Amino acid sequence: MAAPVPWACCAVLAAAAAVVYAQRHSPQEAPHVQYERLGSDVTLPCGTANWDAAVTWRVNGTDLAPDLLNGSQLVLHGLELGHSGLYACFHRDSWHLRHQILLHVGLPPREPVLSCRSNAYPKGFYCSWHLPAPTYIPNTFNVTVLHGSKIMVCEKDPALKNRCHIRYMHLFSTIKYKVSISVSNALGHNATAITFDEFTIVKPDPPENVVARPVPSSPRRLEVTWQTPSTWPDPESFPLKFFLRYRPLILDQWQHVELNDGTAHTITDAYAGKEYIIQVAAKDNEIGTWSDWSVAAHATPWTEEPRHLTTETQAPETTTSITSSLTPPPTTKICDPEELGNGNGGGPLAPFPTWVPVTLALATAAATANSLLI
Amino acid sequence: MLTCLCAVLWHLPAVPALNRTGDLGPGPSIQKTYDLTRYLEHQLRSLAGTYLNYLGPPFNEPDFNPPRLGAETLPRATVDLDVWRSLDDRLRLAQNYEAYSHLLCYVRGLDRQAATAELRRGLGHFCTSLQGLLGSIAGVMAALGYPLPQPLPGTEPTWAPGPAHSDFLQKMDDFWLLKELQTWLWRSAKDFNRLKKKMQPSAAAITLRLKAPGF
Repeated sequence: MAAPVPWACCAVLAAAAAVVYAQRHSPQEAPHVQYERLGSDVTLPCGTANWDAAVTWRVNGTDLAPDLLNGSQLVLHGLELGHSGLYACFHRDSWHLRHQILLHVGLPPREPVLSCRSNAYPKGFYCSWHLPAPTYIPNTFNVTVLHGSKIMVCEKDPALKNRCHIRYMHLFSTIKYKVSISVSNALGHNATAITFDEFTIVKPDPPENVVARPVPSSPRRLEVTWQTPSTWPDPESFPLKFFLRYRPLILDQWQHVELNDGTAHTITDAYAGKEYIIQVAAKDNEIGTWSDWSVAAHATPWTEEPRHLTTETQAPETTTSITSSLTPPPTTKICDPEELGNGNGGGPLAPFPTWVPVTLALATAAATANSLLI
Repeated sequence: MLTCLCAVLWHLPAVPALNRTGDLGPGPSIQKTYDLTRYLEHQLRSLAGTYLNYLGPPFNEPDFNPPRLGAETLPRATVDLDVWRSLDDRLRLAQNYEAYSHLLCYVRGLDRQAATAELRRGLGHFCTSLQGLLGSIAGVMAALGYPLPQPLPGTEPTWAPGPAHSDFLQKMDDFWLLKELQTWLWRSAKDFNRLKKKMQPSAAAITLRLKAPGF
């Protein structure tokens, strides 16, 4: 009594059953992951197929020429990064997927570059690392910190994945710290280590918020202020000293002042009317090295508003102040880093005990001399 | 094994003539003491370089990182961070005083053994400066009314010719002595910085009345 099922419907059902059957008997495997070295040769077998099986290979869905085949195996010569991809071999006639290989072409890791620094003395220090050349495949790093024979914990940085932090337990230790790092990936392994004393890695962050302002009615002065870096935890017990450098944009030579106290300084020998660039660096009073230079501040000293010229009046005073600004102030050559063999901009010089008094004395003399001109 | 007789140091008379700085309180003498630590540290840098070269490798190699064995009697500068922060002034000064008393003794020992005239000169000069530092610390303590630390009977460091000591072990002791000296000088700079900051408001405004016995 049932209406006859249309023939097409039967065929569809049968086909569906066949697909299910086929899938059950040759399930889609997850592709086999393989790592190979850049520049090497590799032979990819088509799973468990016989050597003389008739197969076709595809990479990322694109057919590969049969001349790359050695029997049922795919041969790749001189692997390049472009060879990375999903390789699949199919039974030639049935297009039945036999095997998949996810190929990653890369390199074993070179010796990592490791450095440690304390910008937060005496709270702790951090170590960062990187590889000098990319491997193109995933790497895992393992860092160990030893203080004498004691193992210390290096906590991973929450934001940067190639940095970790160590807290100082003891201060003023004569025992060196040894930080070792090992890196490995599917193609190889490498490691390095560094050893250092507590004091040698101290290097604060640059001073913050460097601001330079003209001083009203003082055409040769600039007032500079800054703040101790916020990462330095205890400036009261571990005070910082500062190094200021400044030059007019039109000149290449910097002038330097070292300041043992305070976070402000007034430059008194600026060229009138010229824009200046100013930077500050910081260092713990006794230990470690100078920070990098701060972000530069720019400022131009105060200049008098030009008087409105009419046919009746002259402007004698403005003329003299302009000419006097062209004569270089006597302090120019005093603290030339080139003369002292510092080369260019590697960082502030280590202070010499007599340096600061000489500079400040001459700067004061220049200021007094110049104030007589204007 | 470092042992040392320094009886003469422990019985230093109370430092006289504080009248000069008395009216200004301990501030200026703390500054002076701080300056002395910096000067000594500067001196030590060149002296240690010369001495380590005299000892020869591996002592003069920058990566030399031996385990700390022996040299147990050397006063150690290392201290727990929180403990260091919370030291009261008296203890802070006393620890410095005791450390340099011992260290001076050991440096004098180095001077006795030193083979070259150049080394003896450098060490002699350093000893004199170190003695000056000790006197300066004693002055600060006296100005603040703290008694100088006296050794407990029986713990006075005595120098006896110890058991025959291998040449290498003796050099190791010398190495650690120089290391510890350097570290103590850095620590002292920080100690005196801390004291300076604490004294600053009082040094400027208030005249410290000396209540130490004998004044």
